[in-house]
Amino acid sequence: MKRKRKLGQDNLWGYLMIAPTIIGLIVLNVYPLIDTIILSFCESGVFGGRTFAGLENYIKMFGSSEFWQAAWNTIYFCILTVPVGVFLALIVAILLNTQIRGKVVFRAIFFLPMVVAPAAVAMVWKWMFNSEYGIINTVFHLDAGWTTDPNLVIPTVAIVAIWSAIGYDAVLLLSGIQNISKSYYEAASLDGCTKLQQFRYITLPMVSPTMFVVLIMRLMASLKVYDLIYMMIGEGNPALSKSQSLIYLFYRESFIKGDKGLASAIVIATVLLIGIFTAVQFIGQKKWVNYEV
Amino acid sequence: MSKLWKKVLAASAAGALVLGLTACGGSGDGGSGDGSGDGHLVFMIWDPGQKSGMEAIADAYMEKHPEVTIEVQASGWDEYWTKLEAAAKSNSLPDIFWMHSNQMYTYADAGILADCSDIVNEADYAETSIENAKGSDGKIYGVPKDKDIIAFLYNKELFDQAGVGYPTADWTWDDLESASQTIYDATGKYGYMAFSHDQIGYWNFVYQNGGQILSDDGSEAMYTEPATADAIKYYIGLQENDWCPTQEQFANTGAAEMFFSGQGSMYYAGNWDLANLCATYPDMNGKWDVAVLPKCPDPADGEGRGVISNSVSYATAAEGENHDMAMDFLAFLGSEEGQRIQGESGVAIPAYNGLEDTWVQFFADQGYEVNVGNLIEQFDYSVKYVNNASRRAWEPEVEQTVLDIYAGTLTVDEGIQQMQDEVTQAIADQ
Repeated sequence: MKRKRKLGQDNLWGYLMIAPTIIGLIVLNVYPLIDTIILSFCESGVFGGRTFAGLENYIKMFGSSEFWQAAWNTIYFCILTVPVGVFLALIVAILLNTQIRGKVVFRAIFFLPMVVAPAAVAMVWKWMFNSEYGIINTVFHLDAGWTTDPNLVIPTVAIVAIWSAIGYDAVLLLSGIQNISKSYYEAASLDGCTKLQQFRYITLPMVSPTMFVVLIMRLMASLKVYDLIYMMIGEGNPALSKSQSLIYLFYRESFIKGDKGLASAIVIATVLLIGIFTAVQFIGQKKWVNYEV
Repeated sequence: MSKLWKKVLAASAAGALVLGLTACGGSGDGGSGDGSGDGHLVFMIWDPGQKSGMEAIADAYMEKHPEVTIEVQASGWDEYWTKLEAAAKSNSLPDIFWMHSNQMYTYADAGILADCSDIVNEADYAETSIENAKGSDGKIYGVPKDKDIIAFLYNKELFDQAGVGYPTADWTWDDLESASQTIYDATGKYGYMAFSHDQIGYWNFVYQNGGQILSDDGSEAMYTEPATADAIKYYIGLQENDWCPTQEQFANTGAAEMFFSGQGSMYYAGNWDLANLCATYPDMNGKWDVAVLPKCPDPADGEGRGVISNSVSYATAAEGENHDMAMDFLAFLGSEEGQRIQGESGVAIPAYNGLEDTWVQFFADQGYEVNVGNLIEQFDYSVKYVNNASRRAWEPEVEQTVLDIYAGTLTVDEGIQQMQDEVTQAIADQ
């Protein structure tokens, strides 16, 4: 009896200690999550007040070509940014791991885009991509409508997204690479392995857990892309419908048109999409991620 | 090691999922302006270009009422409405804020705005401004702030180089086209820059042609009426000319930037932009001027004249903490004195009758060589900004449809039919 009560008191202290985090999590994350799900089944007034509407929002959403276009735009953006971005980050990480002068400076330079506000990044790139006065078209003597040609807008935004994320991903991968024991490489070079073989049979398997984390994070960030499109494409651009992501569509439905119910349904669909992609990755990782040290 | 990794991964993945969700479902930050009865009023506006003018009025008020301090907060247009909506939901609206006619019905009909009938004498203000201050029930929910008009801007240097006479009040659409062609041929610079816009663009052409966007009582869409459809086709068709930039070009570089860098010779702008443009491009002073909009040469109905006029209102919450103070300041904003200060600051034409000259005088006082006095006569035949209670729902859709026509994914006829359907649907859903 006595013992039990004591245990209870210990637990109480434990709960008290984690209370700030848990309360924060419930208020800021769990409650909005549940509320969003409920809202997606309701018709909502502009200033609150909701009536149950069943599956109406979902029927409306799945029936709108705008939604499917936005879903494809989002997936297309991921296809462009995730594999290319992570591959480039790996190359940068390997280069930053070699014995070169000013290594620390290079690392800082690659990491810098992460420190700059996304809005500022987008504005500067938007000017560089300007079809008439931009530095890119001027230097390469091109006439490309980077931010207005429906076929080019998503690749354009993807370039900026990759540029912004590469340093952060590279630093993560670099830490993974540096955790690999030197003795593997020594043994391999004694056995006569080339640098390429060392990369293929030592670096790649050993860094794969880190790479998996990077892949998952990059994929989630890409599926949620919004700020770059808002800043670089924006309202009034004829290519907007060919470039808006799901979250951008959510923003328009929710804050411009004021249809919170439909907007919530779009968010829930996005969350499910992220969930599916992540689940596929977790299943697929068994084939290539190496947890043996 | 292996198990630990998996746990970390699973936890971070789950965490990211949840985080992502709240980032999506986030409700924006609430309005900051719930003054706590200490004599501090927050005054929120969406146009940073008018901040100085609003501060001038606030200063005049604070001089008379030393116990009150008023803080003017300016933000961008999109951000403003996101903030205001969140603030309205959480009952923490700023003490005074601007209300646009687009949103007036939404806010007034939801009972969010204070009834201002007692402090507004309808006879003192322009009709447009009064109409825009009303909710669906016909009561007044805001104090008229201003009235606006569309201006026709032209670059005098390019006209001189091409040997074209400056626009006069007798100009028609034909003159607009021929001048554009002549200037383009002679200088290689663009003529009239017809960018995708309702209020500043095709609406003016529609009403000049005798068409309508909505029926008089706002209950019916009129896009497919021949007079309306023809004018929309004409406006969108202007882009086919070599002398008009494409919508893609406008998305890269706005018409104003092209105009003030000498790349284009003519465009339409709201009068509310003029003071700011004069201040932003001092080197261009004297090289450009404004005129009335060219009229329709062969209107389906009427005289061929027409120009869209809109207005902004000042409003306060129905149940604000500083209600009495806010109402008193609102009364000052609407008074002849408050309106005069606004006009003299150059930011907008006062809604108060007979004060147009204060705005015109500002440009002369500042040494800006723009004959803005030309614009005032346009109020004689101006048309009230197109609006009804469901505008918020149809406006983004119609704008998208217009862009789709420009992009070529819809023919003009399909597009006009689609606009008709979108507005009809929105009215039915209301």
